[in-house]
Amino acid sequence: MAQPHMVSASPDAALILAWQAGDEQAAAELVGRHARPLARFLAGAGAPEADVDDLVQETFIRAFRSVDRFRGQCQFRTWLLTIGGNVLKDFGRRAARRKVVPLDEAVRDVTGDPHEHAEASEAEALLAMGLKQLPRLQREVFLLRAQQGLEYGEIAAALATTPGAARVHYHHAVKRLKEIVK
Amino acid sequence: MKAMNGDERLENLAKRLGSAAAARLDVEATAQKVVARLREQPARRIAWVQQTWLRIAAALVVVLSGAALVRQTLVTRNTHAAHFVADDLRDLSADELRDVLATFDQIINSDSVAVPEGSTDLHELDAQQLRAVLRSLEG
Repeated sequence: MAQPHMVSASPDAALILAWQAGDEQAAAELVGRHARPLARFLAGAGAPEADVDDLVQETFIRAFRSVDRFRGQCQFRTWLLTIGGNVLKDFGRRAARRKVVPLDEAVRDVTGDPHEHAEASEAEALLAMGLKQLPRLQREVFLLRAQQGLEYGEIAAALATTPGAARVHYHHAVKRLKEIVK
Repeated sequence: MKAMNGDERLENLAKRLGSAAAARLDVEATAQKVVARLREQPARRIAWVQQTWLRIAAALVVVLSGAALVRQTLVTRNTHAAHFVADDLRDLSADELRDVLATFDQIINSDSVAVPEGSTDLHELDAQQLRAVLRSLEG
């Protein structure tokens, strides 16, 4: 009983070390902590809902396999999200080769006022469409900042750029998205 | 909806984006699948490496066998050519050489054949000169 409690109270770095030492429970705990934010990021970046589960799994597999390369330059979650971006890019390439056009379902919230809900769904669908039109870097910076709430310094460390450049990408993304969503 | 500026509205929308997909995700099942895949994939990688080495070895055997066969064929061809020139030409008399050359009249008239200077008729050539003409036919 004591051990699972210790595991869930551990910081990510401790869980990574435990996984590297062969502790599968540590890997499962990391998945439990970060799977939903990763799923939100992937869906926001254009992953078809039917494939989100597979893409989340693939992202974690890649991350655990290359965890030796994670130097703590940013949070584990931020690093994981950037791997998710690469996984999604590869998925898009494979889909393009198969001539499959992923059809994203508009995100639906089943609670609340139907009118408000319809308006929100339409705006979200427009935002999702607008995000697809952005360059990849702008899209990822926007999602990391607006959806995940990360600071520019953290985003810059994960994407190997400067905080100033990350800020510029964000503002370009916001400008274009506002025109689409208004 | 409450009035809000464009940036705020966009951020609110972004926060909602993907939340349905995330809510539908069975996190525990995903964690189990990831752990299971991590457990089985190192073994699969070893199998892949073994298969790859087997393929490389098979490809090497095919390439080396082919190269040996080609080399053997070329050596055999060269040996036959050398046998014809070295043995048969040496044993021919002047009359026999004239008979052989008679069949090459048309070739002899071409520029590529080194007919000794001042000679217009093969019958005037001695055995040594006729051998030289035959050798020049080989290129």
